[in-house]
Amino acid sequence: MSKLFYPAAAVLILTVSAFTFVAAQNWQIADGYSIGWSISGSDAGGIFKTFTGSIVFDEQNPGAGKFDVKVDVASVNTGNGLMNKHVKSDEWLDAVKFPFIHFVSRSISKTAGGYQVTGDLEMHGVKKTINIPFTFQKTAQGGKFAGSFTVNRSEYNIGKPGGDTGDQIKLEISVPVTKS
Amino acid sequence: MLKKSLALGIVSGLLAGIAGIIYARVYYTINESDFSKVVSAVKIVAASVFGGVLAAIGYALLNKWLRNSGEIVFNLCFTLISFASLMAPIAVSLPRTIETPELFPGLVIPMHFFPALGWYTLKPIFIKSK
Repeated sequence: MSKLFYPAAAVLILTVSAFTFVAAQNWQIADGYSIGWSISGSDAGGIFKTFTGSIVFDEQNPGAGKFDVKVDVASVNTGNGLMNKHVKSDEWLDAVKFPFIHFVSRSISKTAGGYQVTGDLEMHGVKKTINIPFTFQKTAQGGKFAGSFTVNRSEYNIGKPGGDTGDQIKLEISVPVTKS
Repeated sequence: MLKKSLALGIVSGLLAGIAGIIYARVYYTINESDFSKVVSAVKIVAASVFGGVLAAIGYALLNKWLRNSGEIVFNLCFTLISFASLMAPIAVSLPRTIETPELFPGLVIPMHFFPALGWYTLKPIFIKSK
């Protein structure tokens, strides 16, 4: 028993200490974030006011990072009351049946221009794997994530296909974070 | 005619502006909303006076062109134009920093009728009926 104790303890200490080196930083979403969207070929666009979730990310080791974030569909603001009602209706995002847009990362990798996260985006009851390129800038208080990507609304059964409203929805995200 | 109708337009516009400011204050208190960054007191008065002066020019022209029916046509046009102008606050897109854009039409729609109300109220003082 005593013969095995010290080698086992050494392995345990080495393993734990190794994890401390690779463990990525936990970030807390700070105020001032912006989740904007616009539709190609139209004036339609807006923001989502409520954004929550957990962000684990380390610039030195992006592969160990993990994003699990949610956007509250009912918090949409287009600047027009009628338009807000329309976007939240069952014809578009159906805020009653699908109250959240949910993104969970699978992997994060470094690219020439910054980073890329691959993960599952669940919107309007449809889950699809997408790639989101993003940048991360360290600041004195923490950092700031920024990225933009496009989704095809028809793939998520959002709105009627075709018509005057374009199919491509561009999402622009800017999320300041603080160390937690 | 133009002098009298202009005086009526300016005074009824100012009155409508004051009524608009009071209504806005009451509206902000009742609904716990604030659109003063979009619709300031100066803008309310300016828009109301603009409406009053426009009405004055229209009144003078219509009474010049249509001697017998100018008054009736003017009243009809003023009411219809006020009503049609409601499309503007319904369709407008506010800055997205405004939390409750759905409350905006409720603030501005009544204001669109204030210049007409001011005009019809003060007209007997400025312009005597034929």
